[in-house]
Amino acid sequence: MAFFRDGKSAALLAALLIGLPFATNDFVAYQIALFLIYGIAAQGVALCWGRLGFLPLGHALFFGLGAYIFGGTLKAAQADSLWYLLLPLAIAAPALLAYVIARLIFARSSRSGPYFSLITLALAMLGFLAAQQWRELTGGFNGMTNIPDIPGTERYETLFWLVAACAVVTTFALACLARRPIGVVWEAVSQNEERLQLLGYATDRIKANAFAFSALLASIAGALFSAHQGIVTPQAMGFLLSTEFVIWAAVGGKASALGPLLGATVVGFASAELREQFQYWEVAVAIMFIGIVLFMPNGVAGLLKRKNGERFAERSAAPLDRAPAKTIGGVTLSMDGVKTSKGGVTILDGLSLSLKGPGIRCVIGPNGAGKTSSFNVITGHLPLLAGNIRLNEQSIGGLPAWRVARMGIGRKMQVPSVFSDLTVRENLGLAVWAGRANVRDLLRMTTLGWRTVLLDSILNQFSALETQQNTLAGSLAQGHRQALELAMTLLPEPNLVLLDEPCAGLSPSETHHMIHAIKSLVQQIDAAALLIEHDISAVNAIGGEVFVLHQGRLLERGALAHIQSSTAVRAVYAGRRK
Amino acid sequence: MDRRNFIQATLAATAASAMPPAFAAGPLKVAVMIPQSGPAGLFGPSSKACAELAAATLNSRGGVLGRKVELLFGDAGLAPAEAGQTALRLWKGQKAEAVIGMHDSAVRGALVGLFKGQVPYFYTPVYEGGECAKGTYVKGETPQQQLEPVIPWLAAERKPTKWYLIGNDYIWGRNTNAAAKGYIEKTGAKVVGDEYVPFTVDNFDSSLARIRDSGADAVLVSLVGGAAVTFNKAFASFGLADKALRLGTLLEENTLAGIGLTNARNLYSSSGYFANIDTPAATAFAAEYSKRNGANAPALNGLAESTFEGFLMLEALAKKANSLDVPKMDAVSEGTTYQGPRGTATIKARHVVQDIYVADVTDRGFRVVKTFSNVDPGQTCKV
Amino acid sequence: MHDASVLLHGLNLAYALATLALTTLGLAIIFGLLGVMNMAHGEFVMLGAYSAVAVQQWGLPLIAAAPLAMAVCGVLGYVVERWLIRPLYARPFDTLLATWALAMLLRKLVEAVFGREYRNVESSLAAPMSVFGSQYPIYRLALIALAIVVMTGLYFWYRKSAAGLRVRAMTANPVLAQALGINTQKLASQAFVIGVVLAGLSGVLLAPLIRIEPGIGVDYLLDAFFVLVVGGLGTIGGLFGGVGIIGGLQALISSVAGQTSGYAVVLMLSILFLWLKPDGLFSRR
Repeated sequence: MAFFRDGKSAALLAALLIGLPFATNDFVAYQIALFLIYGIAAQGVALCWGRLGFLPLGHALFFGLGAYIFGGTLKAAQADSLWYLLLPLAIAAPALLAYVIARLIFARSSRSGPYFSLITLALAMLGFLAAQQWRELTGGFNGMTNIPDIPGTERYETLFWLVAACAVVTTFALACLARRPIGVVWEAVSQNEERLQLLGYATDRIKANAFAFSALLASIAGALFSAHQGIVTPQAMGFLLSTEFVIWAAVGGKASALGPLLGATVVGFASAELREQFQYWEVAVAIMFIGIVLFMPNGVAGLLKRKNGERFAERSAAPLDRAPAKTIGGVTLSMDGVKTSKGGVTILDGLSLSLKGPGIRCVIGPNGAGKTSSFNVITGHLPLLAGNIRLNEQSIGGLPAWRVARMGIGRKMQVPSVFSDLTVRENLGLAVWAGRANVRDLLRMTTLGWRTVLLDSILNQFSALETQQNTLAGSLAQGHRQALELAMTLLPEPNLVLLDEPCAGLSPSETHHMIHAIKSLVQQIDAAALLIEHDISAVNAIGGEVFVLHQGRLLERGALAHIQSSTAVRAVYAGRRK
Repeated sequence: MDRRNFIQATLAATAASAMPPAFAAGPLKVAVMIPQSGPAGLFGPSSKACAELAAATLNSRGGVLGRKVELLFGDAGLAPAEAGQTALRLWKGQKAEAVIGMHDSAVRGALVGLFKGQVPYFYTPVYEGGECAKGTYVKGETPQQQLEPVIPWLAAERKPTKWYLIGNDYIWGRNTNAAAKGYIEKTGAKVVGDEYVPFTVDNFDSSLARIRDSGADAVLVSLVGGAAVTFNKAFASFGLADKALRLGTLLEENTLAGIGLTNARNLYSSSGYFANIDTPAATAFAAEYSKRNGANAPALNGLAESTFEGFLMLEALAKKANSLDVPKMDAVSEGTTYQGPRGTATIKARHVVQDIYVADVTDRGFRVVKTFSNVDPGQTCKV
Repeated sequence: MHDASVLLHGLNLAYALATLALTTLGLAIIFGLLGVMNMAHGEFVMLGAYSAVAVQQWGLPLIAAAPLAMAVCGVLGYVVERWLIRPLYARPFDTLLATWALAMLLRKLVEAVFGREYRNVESSLAAPMSVFGSQYPIYRLALIALAIVVMTGLYFWYRKSAAGLRVRAMTANPVLAQALGINTQKLASQAFVIGVVLAGLSGVLLAPLIRIEPGIGVDYLLDAFFVLVVGGLGTIGGLFGGVGIIGGLQALISSVAGQTSGYAVVLMLSILFLWLKPDGLFSRR
């Protein structure tokens, strides 16, 4: 049943392509095949850019590598048919290279931004230079010539069918993946990578995998290209072709599976035909591209498609029994002489605090005391310059956010951090899958319907989340957004929960409801929690131990009554009444 | 015949000759691949003008095999694969039945691989030799024509002792210079440097510094079009024009105009044609060209003229074989002759035996200083 | 004779650094100070070069190309900043793409108007002049001298003048600068226009020395980017350091192993910096 919906665009494409040679002639089909090939590579670009939010500006590197390697193998196979066995490897090799490159780059920083694009651009240019220089391997400027047909196909007649079949398959595959949980994860990467990391997703690996997949698409396209043209020259690896892929993906629609294919075929084919006849044709294409960037960021397909193609699955009948491991005896956190600074300003100056076992503790202190920063240094957002932090005797200083999350620490941010362009249901889903879903689960439609006992409790506490399942998280009211983020923080069932002002911006009755929910849910998952709060009545309602921070150090700890009577605390809060 | 019949008969005959010749069957579409961009774009306008002149000339004689010649132009100045796509569109898409190619050797390699001998292909410009593909007929001069007799002559004239070879980094630059090395060493001179630059390079500072440091007194320039212009201008502006002579096999009138006469001291060009050659056939052609294209015509040169000759070759072979079928043309090609602006040309091993001229530069342009007659192309293609 | 050779190599190096500095300057302002990735930077240089071609076609002296280039680039820069860059200030990806689209548009326009063939511009100053026994083109010596003057002037203006101080304030802390009464909107617009005008003027200066065709912009853009990535954004030291390292390295490797290797080494160095030290050597951050 799901396949039906997945296959809509692919079926449309198949129908168009089957009719094409009969409506026109073999030669036109041959020419269209070239742009279908380019379109498959453009689909790879669109996957990274439209779904995950990073733009590869040098994708022709993988296209060209695929073309040279596959073409060279076909030529070698003419002498010795043992080479045919290497053809699948020829297609896979550029994808492997892409994976290595992406892992190296993304491991350094999660800034997928324009610097990644420039690196891919520079790599494509290096590839171009290498193709020109290594004449013995590539034929240099003249190119690798006399590439034979793929066995079983004939270049000007039957190759079109192979290309068309590949295009239909890639379109189908991309549409499938987009509607499955992995598609939700991909979009989450582009919307709020930090939040995803806090849920425990290793986003650098997710991006690298996606990049490798997109390179695989480019490589397949390159392989078909070598057989289609019979010649591969360094231009197939160069900068200009890479930018054409981007343009076709943009015009056709970067958030769509079929869009880039249409972009390449229509714009590319039209350009090839009309470039000679109309002097200003390419000027018109450039103007259209500017218009698309400014006004229609999702291209033509974006105009035609609904925003959120339904990702729907029945809510599963029974809750999952999978849950992350729980620490026996409750969790222990100890921070010892922790120092951190930013921009030359010391923020934490030897903070030492510890807790053991489940229960909510509150963290209070004047502005600038270092409350949020203490959370930041635990989850790796600030560097640990001195001292150490131990979770259950294991040192966690300096680890990346997703590793810290996987060790059983959940965090809710000061400004509610959710995935604004995903629905409430999808937001919750991401949190449910964290730590539970493996790769195979993310490829299954049924995973969209997973629920847990905790999820049911949360929806009971916050009925608004239940009724607004299909609303985009970004358009929720502040109170509901806080509730959503709280839910997402708790759903992976962490052992230690860091809550940063969960009641910020809430009315008194909402605050009361929130505190009640927090107490109940934290107890349900038997977790320890640290809660930063400014509202003393809320602190009172929670009733646990209180830590007072001041100037980056722990000033006082104990029950609220003890704190309120402490002279040291009073001196710090001199003049304040609450 | 009485007077009235005579007058009637004369009038009829006059009327008949005043009408254009009637053409048989459908037009003969000829694809003409000339560079309109890139370094060789310099030769585009003049080649196009010569192609059009050729079509008009052939059509005034009744066309080829009685069919009117129609031209389809394609830009051969793109990279080889892209130029191949253009040629493919003209051949399979618009049904061209013959191809005239005036473009670089890399594009030729792509087109030969594309056509695979299924359509007659006439390659007209100077090149590095060695093209023996079936169905490919080469008008262009080879190193055996342009350099083999010329380098010894230059050695005797100017007595250079140290040669530096520079070329664009592709098959023509490399193979031409490789052939030249042999001829140079046979004269007793030494080759002190040998380098190749990609088409994208337009700054020759480091190359010129190396030429200077090597102490060369002769430079063989195997650069194409725009690259040759930039190189030669810079060469002169660094004061090297008086230190070393230059010899080029692709130095024609447009390139010279770009270089500028003041920068062309001690510059020699070896070619099968110059616009100011003194033979009756050449002067008639030059006159026809200026009449047709006016005062601001693109400068006539050897490459453009070779395009014209390509059409003459096509006409001659088609007539002799009475067909455009490649195997038939191949069968009759050896020994076929035709008359053109360069004189009588004889086809040998699918190449052309032709005269070679060596020119230097005065304040009025090229001046032919030596002529070699009927130089053998030196190719071993099996026909 | 050996000294003459060293002198020639030295002058060639100075020339390479001078052209790199002049063509990068515009982007150093736009990318370094405003943080805008102007992918059309090279096309403004190209427009400057074509101004020289146009001026020569009309039979005017070469010097007339300068005001023409300033006018064309100035107007275009103002329009682009107002309607293309300003709406996209917060979206660096879209700025990159929009300016890339602009670059395409300018390239294709020039192609349609002037054609794709290579052009050349003549200058009487291209003749050689004797310099300590070596022959060197006068024009290049003038260019080197001009570059030194411009860079020195720039240094003093940026570091010592009131206007330079306002610009430094704006780039360090735009919000605070605005609160102090500095009209950052106008200053940004002016900086952008100045940046593209400088790019155009560098194109005019280089016109007699380079081949001119619609596609030359990409090379200048990439060289300028690499200089800024390695040198660092927003500081004079970054510009000088980047020019020195990139230009010097490229010249050194080219003289030993050929131009392609020189360019390849520059690419590899830039990739390393983009990967490991994206803020460059002398960044203001």
